[in-house]
Amino acid sequence: MDFEWSAEDRAFRARVRAFLEKELPANWPEIARHGPGSREQTEFSLEFCPKLAAAGLLMPHWPKQWGGGDRPTWEHFILGEEMWAAGEPRGAQYMNVNWIGPTLMRFGSPEQQQRYIPPMAAGTAIWCQGFSEPDAGSDLARLRTRAVRDGDDYVINGQKIWTSYAGLAHNCFLLARTGDGASGKAGIAIFLVDMKTPGIEVRSIPSLIGHGDIHETFFTDVRVPASARLGEEGQAWSIIGYSLANERVGIPRYEMASRVLDQMVQELRRRGQGDDAVIQLRAGSAAANCEAARILVYRTVEMRSRGEAVDAEASLARVAVAEAEQSVTEFGMEFLNDAFTGDDHPVFLAHHERAIVTGIAAGATEIQLGLIARRWLGLPNGAA
Amino acid sequence: MRFTPNEDQAAFLSVLAQMTEAPEAGWKASPDWSRFDYSASLDRMLEDNGFFECAREPTLGLVAAASLTYQLARVPALVECAATSTLRALFAPDLPRPVAVIETDPLQAVPFLPTAKAVIRLDGDKIAVAQLEPGVVQEVSSLFAYPMGKLAAGAKLDWQTVDGDVHDARAVWSVATAAELAGCLKGGLDAVVKHVSERQQFGRPLGAFQAIQHRLAQAATKAEAAYWLALRAADRRTPADAALALGYTQEASGRVVQDLHQFMGAMGLTLEHPLHRWTYRARLLRAGLGGPTANLRAYYARKWTNA
Ligand SMILES: Cc1cc2nc3c(=O)[nH]c(=O)nc-3n(C[C@H](O)[C@H](O)[C@H](O)COP(=O)(O)OP(=O)(O)OC[C@H]3O[C@@H](n4cnc5c(N)ncnc54)[C@H](O)[C@@H]3O)c2cc1C
Repeated sequence: MDFEWSAEDRAFRARVRAFLEKELPANWPEIARHGPGSREQTEFSLEFCPKLAAAGLLMPHWPKQWGGGDRPTWEHFILGEEMWAAGEPRGAQYMNVNWIGPTLMRFGSPEQQQRYIPPMAAGTAIWCQGFSEPDAGSDLARLRTRAVRDGDDYVINGQKIWTSYAGLAHNCFLLARTGDGASGKAGIAIFLVDMKTPGIEVRSIPSLIGHGDIHETFFTDVRVPASARLGEEGQAWSIIGYSLANERVGIPRYEMASRVLDQMVQELRRRGQGDDAVIQLRAGSAAANCEAARILVYRTVEMRSRGEAVDAEASLARVAVAEAEQSVTEFGMEFLNDAFTGDDHPVFLAHHERAIVTGIAAGATEIQLGLIARRWLGLPNGAA
Repeated sequence: MRFTPNEDQAAFLSVLAQMTEAPEAGWKASPDWSRFDYSASLDRMLEDNGFFECAREPTLGLVAAASLTYQLARVPALVECAATSTLRALFAPDLPRPVAVIETDPLQAVPFLPTAKAVIRLDGDKIAVAQLEPGVVQEVSSLFAYPMGKLAAGAKLDWQTVDGDVHDARAVWSVATAAELAGCLKGGLDAVVKHVSERQQFGRPLGAFQAIQHRLAQAATKAEAAYWLALRAADRRTPADAALALGYTQEASGRVVQDLHQFMGAMGLTLEHPLHRWTYRARLLRAGLGGPTANLRAYYARKWTNA
């Protein structure tokens, strides 16, 4: 066993940090304050990601065939840590890197791959993910958006909700039902939809987590060619199983939590409160929660790097990450309250704003706990 | 990073697994209803095969000793392993065993003292050891699932200082304690999962109720993090990592132990079911080396003040 970074890993991290140091403008914390889905950050990402790509730092782990560097899984992860902790200058494009690109590589037709992967690799593609609906949240298999075959086309009708980045996205990775209403998981297909197609309407939802982050997306008689379907009818569930396994630990949130905590402690020490026993205890405890989350996430990355399938291990990691973020927020709010009520600490505010999401998006904590209970502990199937 | 054992560690762990699955390691009630069941035969098997010396083997190391301690803590039978396989192996390999450890107060009752042949002290600025002659230890009847005893008032021991830094020794002992506590949590969790999978109420297994599933899943998350933090601390052997692993595990263990007892119902309060073998070790270990408050503050100090 070996829990240290290799010299190669460390050198890679140093390269990413040097790049960020050089490329992020002085007003970056202000831009990042509004969240990865904001107009400011999305527009920034369209300038920033091409530079990352040119430096070989956008998707180093992708195969060479698609413009990547065939680099180890760990480099992908180090990159994610540094980017997220810096406030995610890639904006929505982290999704392309983490799972939309790899999903297309594995399941896309040659035409789909040729059309969509190069712009992702160039850092100029914004995608959104159209899964959730008003009546299909945790119970995603109940989604009702319909795609009806009409000659060489499909005609799509329905509504999506909570769609991040939809306002500025070029394309949508959309789930729609091709089977009848009772077909459940077996009746769903994936469509790669151009967001400029007539009949798509996007409304921004005012929210607690930054402007322009989440949306309602309406589809009214949206006509797409059959060639926009990814995989076969009915294959969506197994494809997104693959995609979401990559997404579940995709965002290294513990890294930002741990750096924010570090800044909080430095601030308290500047204020002469570093000797306070209660502060030491609560900070030590929050830091320990961050490390618990980190090591459970690293375990899943390490499994993936050996080609082993990650199952409930990802759920264990996510539960720990949500707890870690929460404990850092609580620590700050209790001992540095003025830094949260005022506006001269944009990084603290950004953390506070984002931390509320972790227990809900990409599978609520209760869904993760259920997976752990049944797939890790082997407990009997209950009600849900 | 590699979370899998190397070849020698894998071989070590697979032989160990055969021993921990043997009947000697399993559950049997003590004839006198005492709260622990010391397995002299398991102890001898481990000693005869050199298991307790693994920390000194370059390809096994403290990670193997922490794994050994963790795996033995998962079984209902008791063997003195934590101190022998870490402190003794690294600092005083010639000391007779079993050994007991004095962390702070030389007059407080500690585990294994009544059966120990030697004692290691970490309360001063040096690492001190002494062999135990008959009559110097007073056995104590205790709540906890260890043989407990204290040095008799006025007992004269021949303390010898051994080479090594006492801060390093305390870090090593923190790793051992964290690994043992993590193993107790896992052993208890496995026993409770088995129980709630079998026990039926309201026409279905208790383990099918979501209220129980979720709390056990939370316990599993903490137990799993504790395990990996202990192994990482063993690999790194720094005071910061040791304090982190121990502080985290101790803080988590309070709620976990409470839930384990909760879901076992009245059966968990009896000496006819093994749950107490894990939980009444865990409840003592939670207070080890000053307990979660002291260890999390020590982590703070190491992380932020280089103290
Ligand atoms: C910031 C953010 C961004 C998002 N971005 C996208 C996106 O880009 N695309 C997209 O498709 N979706 C997106 N989502 C939606 C997300 O996937 C859903 O919020 C999530 O699946 C939960 O669904 P819900 O919000 O409808 O909650 P519900 O399913 O209504 O559940 C509400 C709560 O009930 C509890 N609960 C639910 N089911 C169970 C159960 N079986 N047992 C016990 N408790 C349960 C959980 O605590 C849950 O949080 C986003 C969400 C957020 C917060």
